[in-house]
Amino acid sequence: MEENPQAEKPKKEKIPRQKMPEQNVSARIRNFNEVPLGYDPETAQREARRCLQCKNPQCVDGCPVEIDIPAFLQLVVDGKFVEAAHKIKEKNVLPAVCGRVCPQEDQCEKQCILGIRGEPCAIGSLERFVADWEADQGETILPSLLPPTGHKVAVVGAGPSGLTVAFDLALLGHDVTIFEALHEPGGVLMYGIPEFRLPKAIVKREVEFLRRLGVKLYTSVVIGRTIEVDDLLKSGFEAVFLAVGAGLPMFMKIPGENLNGVFSANEFLTRVNLMKAYDFPDVDTPVWVGKNVAVIGGGNVAMDCARTALRLGAKRVSVIYRRSRSEMPARHEEIVRAEEEGIIFFFLTNPIRYLSDEKFWVRGMECVRMELGQPDSSGRRSVKPIPDSEQIIDFDTIIVAIGAGANPIIASTTPDLKTNRWGYYIADEETGLTSKPRVFAGGDIVTGSATVISAMGAGRRSARAIHKLLMESKKV
Amino acid sequence: MNFQSVGEILDFAVAKEEQSAQFYDSLAAQVRQESMAEVFRELAREELQHKAKLLEVKQGGTFQPAPEEVADLKIAEYVVDVEPGPEMSYPDALILAMKMEKAAFKLYNDLAVSTKDAVLRGTFLALAQEEARHKLRFELEYDRNVHQDDY
Repeated sequence: MEENPQAEKPKKEKIPRQKMPEQNVSARIRNFNEVPLGYDPETAQREARRCLQCKNPQCVDGCPVEIDIPAFLQLVVDGKFVEAAHKIKEKNVLPAVCGRVCPQEDQCEKQCILGIRGEPCAIGSLERFVADWEADQGETILPSLLPPTGHKVAVVGAGPSGLTVAFDLALLGHDVTIFEALHEPGGVLMYGIPEFRLPKAIVKREVEFLRRLGVKLYTSVVIGRTIEVDDLLKSGFEAVFLAVGAGLPMFMKIPGENLNGVFSANEFLTRVNLMKAYDFPDVDTPVWVGKNVAVIGGGNVAMDCARTALRLGAKRVSVIYRRSRSEMPARHEEIVRAEEEGIIFFFLTNPIRYLSDEKFWVRGMECVRMELGQPDSSGRRSVKPIPDSEQIIDFDTIIVAIGAGANPIIASTTPDLKTNRWGYYIADEETGLTSKPRVFAGGDIVTGSATVISAMGAGRRSARAIHKLLMESKKV
Repeated sequence: MNFQSVGEILDFAVAKEEQSAQFYDSLAAQVRQESMAEVFRELAREELQHKAKLLEVKQGGTFQPAPEEVADLKIAEYVVDVEPGPEMSYPDALILAMKMEKAAFKLYNDLAVSTKDAVLRGTFLALAQEEARHKLRFELEYDRNVHQDDY
């Protein structure tokens, strides 16, 4: 029968965005288990059916590693969940991680056409669902590797960028060794992001997958101290990829930051996430948390610190942020969860000194009220103190979560590695090649603190460049 | 300090800029990281630019305070002092620079208050405002990069 060109296309079923179930508030503030519980298969398929399968999918443009989002969503609709996971893995080696911690609302979901009139398709939640589904099926199928090339590459740092470069180079047949300074691989995924946002078993699963691909991994090796970059190059590694992250805590340099009870977010979260201090004395590392905690900052790390302190038993946890709620850089959903959990927010407030008791423990802070000005060149509204607005607020623990910078260890022992004035390595944007021949770099140590997925994108670009270098050079 | 003329004030200000440039040059020679040496060389060059501007004024150029009030983020006031040395980081350098500009601002402001001569007072206030602008530049750089609010 001839098709009637005038016939109307069947109207697409109107499905609201599917909400992911969560642990209820009263339960979750007493445990470290993950807060969102994930979709079941029916809900995932219902959500995936919302995708319009655009011919020119804007969501793909919004993804830093250009996952074929419509294709994986269609596979979900078709019930081919494992195949959907494989489709994502063509571009992203850590889908279970990215499904949880990527700011999709600023990336793929921001570009989704559905978002113009309603809510965008829940791409991140579906990415998480298929990755978890694949893992739940048992051992994941290993991709086929190209024959061994005999070329050796060292990767320094086992965070998102390092893991990605190792994965890509292993697939291409290269002999990859990762050196990690901490005793567990995963970088910021292990030490920075709390269990209730990213269960560590997921990170371990992804690292194990790399090991099965033949990637060698040495932990507790501080490159720049235990071994220097030049030693790696002299010992047979033909290329080195530096992916050490930006783990140096920033302080405001105001009086009292050296008092007992004042932590950097890095120290606080590392003790809890990596060292499992919440199980002390069953584990070796304790953590101090008072009853009345202040967290300085307005980003995801500040939210993580505040919610962690609450789970460790603090009676009152406050976030001190110098701008207003709408300027907070934290993900909206994390701010909402923090509010639900009873975190108190002091907006337009900034500490100017911490106060000591007679035993040099912090007992509070002097703050000033701030006012917002015009946006600067970056679009962020300037902020300045209001004269004579000082006030004292009592706290017994302070966690400073204002940002992180470049760790100077490798740069200080590698003289021909050029850095900018903030200590970040200068590297070619496309290849990651640094000023030092055969040494590449990517992720936060080049760009400053950024997202997991952008660090992975940098790893992918450098893997291509390293592969090209190795294949063009004679075997050492 | 007893100044009798605008020329004397400008000579004093020129000498201060020259001293600052020499101080930054000496730090450029001390620091271990080349990127930090370049930071201090850049700061020294800026001081020499200020000096050149003052010499221009002395030779008949105009020297008017900026029409609008210069914002004070008060970072120089709130942060602790840093000790100059070979391991200085860029945030340390910014603190050092903003505090030097703040001290110069205070000096010129105090001199303005202590003089009865309107012309001399105007010159001191214009110099103070210049220093306030320099301080603001360092405070903004510090604010944007150290107070990231997140990571």
